[in-house]
Amino acid sequence: MPDWKQELIRIVGERGYLDRPEDLRLYEYDGGVDKGRPEIVVFPRSAQDVSAIVKVSRRHGVPIVGRGAGTGLSGGAIARSGGILISFARMNRILEIDPFNERAVVEPGVVNLDISAAAAPYGYFFAPDPSSQRACTIGGNVAENAGGPHTLAYGVTANHVLGLEVVLPDGEILRTGGFWPDAAGYDLTGLITGSEGALCLVTKVIVRLMRKPESVETFLAIYDSVDDCATTVSEITARAITPAAVEMLDGSMLQMVEEAVHAGYPLGAAGVLLIELEGVREAVAEQAAQVRQACAACRAQEIRQARNEQERQLLWKGRKNAFGAIGRVSPFYYVHDGVVPRTKIAPTLRYIEDVSRRSGLAIGNIFHAGDGNMHPIILFDARRPGDIEKAQKAGFDILEYCVDSGGSITGEHGIGMEKIHLMDRQFSQESLEMMRRLKMTFDPARLFNPGKLLPERQPCPELRQPPVTPGGSLPC
Amino acid sequence: MRCVRPVTEKELAEALRAAAEEGERVEVRGAGSKRRMGGPVAEADVLIETTGMAGVRQYDPRDLTVSVEAGMKWRDFCALLEENRQMAPLDPPCAETGTVGGVVAANLSGPRRRLYGAARDMVIGMSYATVDGAVAQTGGMVVKNVAGLDIHKALIGSFGTLAVITVVNFKLAPQPEKTRSYALVFDSAAELAARRDAVLSGPLQPAAMDALNPAAARLAGLDGFCLLARAGGPEALLERYDRELQGARRYEGGQEMALWRAVEEFAPSQRFVVRAGHRLSDLRAVLESAPGACVSRAGTGVSWLGFDSAGEAEQWMSDASHAAWSRLLEWSDGPAGVYWPDPGPELEWMRKIKSAFDPSGILNPGRLYGRI
Ligand SMILES: Cc1cc2nc3c(=O)[nH]c(=O)nc-3n(C[C@H](O)[C@H](O)[C@H](O)COP(=O)(O)OP(=O)(O)OC[C@H]3O[C@@H](n4cnc5c(N)ncnc54)[C@H](O)[C@@H]3O)c2cc1C
Repeated sequence: MPDWKQELIRIVGERGYLDRPEDLRLYEYDGGVDKGRPEIVVFPRSAQDVSAIVKVSRRHGVPIVGRGAGTGLSGGAIARSGGILISFARMNRILEIDPFNERAVVEPGVVNLDISAAAAPYGYFFAPDPSSQRACTIGGNVAENAGGPHTLAYGVTANHVLGLEVVLPDGEILRTGGFWPDAAGYDLTGLITGSEGALCLVTKVIVRLMRKPESVETFLAIYDSVDDCATTVSEITARAITPAAVEMLDGSMLQMVEEAVHAGYPLGAAGVLLIELEGVREAVAEQAAQVRQACAACRAQEIRQARNEQERQLLWKGRKNAFGAIGRVSPFYYVHDGVVPRTKIAPTLRYIEDVSRRSGLAIGNIFHAGDGNMHPIILFDARRPGDIEKAQKAGFDILEYCVDSGGSITGEHGIGMEKIHLMDRQFSQESLEMMRRLKMTFDPARLFNPGKLLPERQPCPELRQPPVTPGGSLPC
Repeated sequence: MRCVRPVTEKELAEALRAAAEEGERVEVRGAGSKRRMGGPVAEADVLIETTGMAGVRQYDPRDLTVSVEAGMKWRDFCALLEENRQMAPLDPPCAETGTVGGVVAANLSGPRRRLYGAARDMVIGMSYATVDGAVAQTGGMVVKNVAGLDIHKALIGSFGTLAVITVVNFKLAPQPEKTRSYALVFDSAAELAARRDAVLSGPLQPAAMDALNPAAARLAGLDGFCLLARAGGPEALLERYDRELQGARRYEGGQEMALWRAVEEFAPSQRFVVRAGHRLSDLRAVLESAPGACVSRAGTGVSWLGFDSAGEAEQWMSDASHAAWSRLLEWSDGPAGVYWPDPGPELEWMRKIKSAFDPSGILNPGRLYGRI
């Protein structure tokens, strides 16, 4: 056993690590399609442990990758270059719920939904709600700057994180931001949020809690044209309404979902929108009328409104359990995550249909339509020769279309290792160079999550390859 | 001092590169409206003004996003959005003269921060020119985007010490159908704080929730301890506010605008202003600690205290009973000893970021309270 492993074991103790091959195999994957095996998985219990582990990594030049729940979809939590995988599973305490000051202080391993559960008795919640919120951790949310259906009204993780405690690549424990916003100087908290574990490891998070809304109304608008369905999104915007969520499912997704989940979705429709309004009763009532008008103006065939919480849950059930449904139809699928301006949703969907036709692969769409965050789901059969390559090409064609439409190659899943070769499609060399400079400022030895987020200066041949391992990756 | 007023990003980047090559110190500014903020600027060799770049890069109202050049006046920017009944509700001070780039570089926000957030929540991307003569981008033009490092987060509030912001992209909000504001007057800070608590823990979600002590209230034509709230939405919602905030004085239209203008311009109206960050629960203590006028973002936890001299401001900042709060001499009419007494350990990392962007420290030396 190398010295560095022995040093790690001295820090975390006999029960604080895994290194048998059969155990390590479980940590090869995240929710995405890539894999890579760490040499050891360590389970620190405190920021001091993390700092000591990082110092070992630094002294011996061993790469280190953070891991929350491993639900990430871009290969972020994969030990691509071997080395140390540092799991935050045992740093999972909610340290403080302070509804009066609208704050919670949590350790990184706390599961997203548990924050809202702890705040619920006081009438508060934590707004970022990735569809994986029953499993994913706040540390992973901060690293990916995660979003969710309700980020349309409430914003993404970065808008709800006020302060962090982090361990820097030299082992220093640093606090950034704090209980109140707008500190003087550079916003390190904002810079670190979304940095995918490539600048530092997060050991504590101060988040904003929000007051639960008084009133919630949920609609299902049903269309016989995808274009009409997509156009409704900008029609809603034009009416000055900001719903809490606007989610879209196209015809093929509807079919798959309804057969598996029985949410009461219409089978023959070309697309549906799931629209939710939240807020003060009087405002919601007024917006509800406007939403109905917007849908009707865009030729919705039918608009259903949930009459009670049970009906509301049923409408969401289809959206939230969509991915199990896909698994029933196709054992292999590839979920993408791109963003276009809201007015470009209809042409983007047409382009995706084009790609589907050209590649001969079925592609379904279930996505955060309100903010233009597309999630095309490409179905393929890995056992059929050439299918994997076709699926990859189809995905990257769609992402390039997103960039060319003025959008982005990722709205919430991150760059990770999956999209690193597309970064120079979205950013100029000058822009990438400044990001690299910042990365080097924090992590000059480049041991923090190497091979992620930022492409090397000289695109190395290995990184030019899109990821290869297919699998039932789960979308959101 | 040489003055340069570039009309393109390239030209600006070139001016920066040339200055860096000569080892010249550069002062960067928009309209210069915030020279009293952020600590004194040291004497420079070159002055670069962004006001020559004031165009709209991209604006499709249906996308609820806009991209404008940094030298555009904030007032003109608001007027542009107003045409489509949209807004970027930062409500900064010096809104009449200041530029978009200046508002963002100084991280200014105002009363509606409670509901809409600050620049870090509204800015979705930027272009900026570096001392190497490069023009780089960060973020983009869509409301959700997690590609790469969000360098714009570091540029917000950087007071021109890292790079020169040339273009800013915002996510916008639709204007509410109608707005109405309310002033509740109390005899004491304690009563005010209790009422604030009741509103914040209730169902109403006012866009703004500010507290004024009597000295600040007088500047807004009121007296006593005042709790101001601003609501926006359909008439039925405003009637709900009327009912729940019974006894409040109501403001609409021009009067409402004037009220908020007075609150927004509070800091520049004072000679020396300390900004304090604190827990919501410390509202009363902060209000009571103010020897002069004090305006508090009572739903956010940030307060501004006015002083007549640097000495009084510094004395307040060094008082042990205020040590739990962050303290900053944000605006000053003359030199002071200490502007930012307690920057904490983050400062060292800010300095490292500074040297990554501007290794020889030529950009806006002295800015950021003399600490960078
Ligand atoms: C079914 C499903 C639905 C999903 N829906 C959504 C959605 O709606 N919106 C969305 O944004 N995402 C979604 N995701 C993706 C994923 O859940 C999010 O990216 C989530 O934030 C990852 O959290 P995690 O704890 O699983 O992190 P992991 O996957 O373990 O790690 C993700 C990244 O965070 C880093 N990291 C983890 N902990 C730390 C730490 N303490 N300090 C520093 N870096 C750390 C890792 O190194 C890695 O780079 C979905 C995934 C699935 C499987």
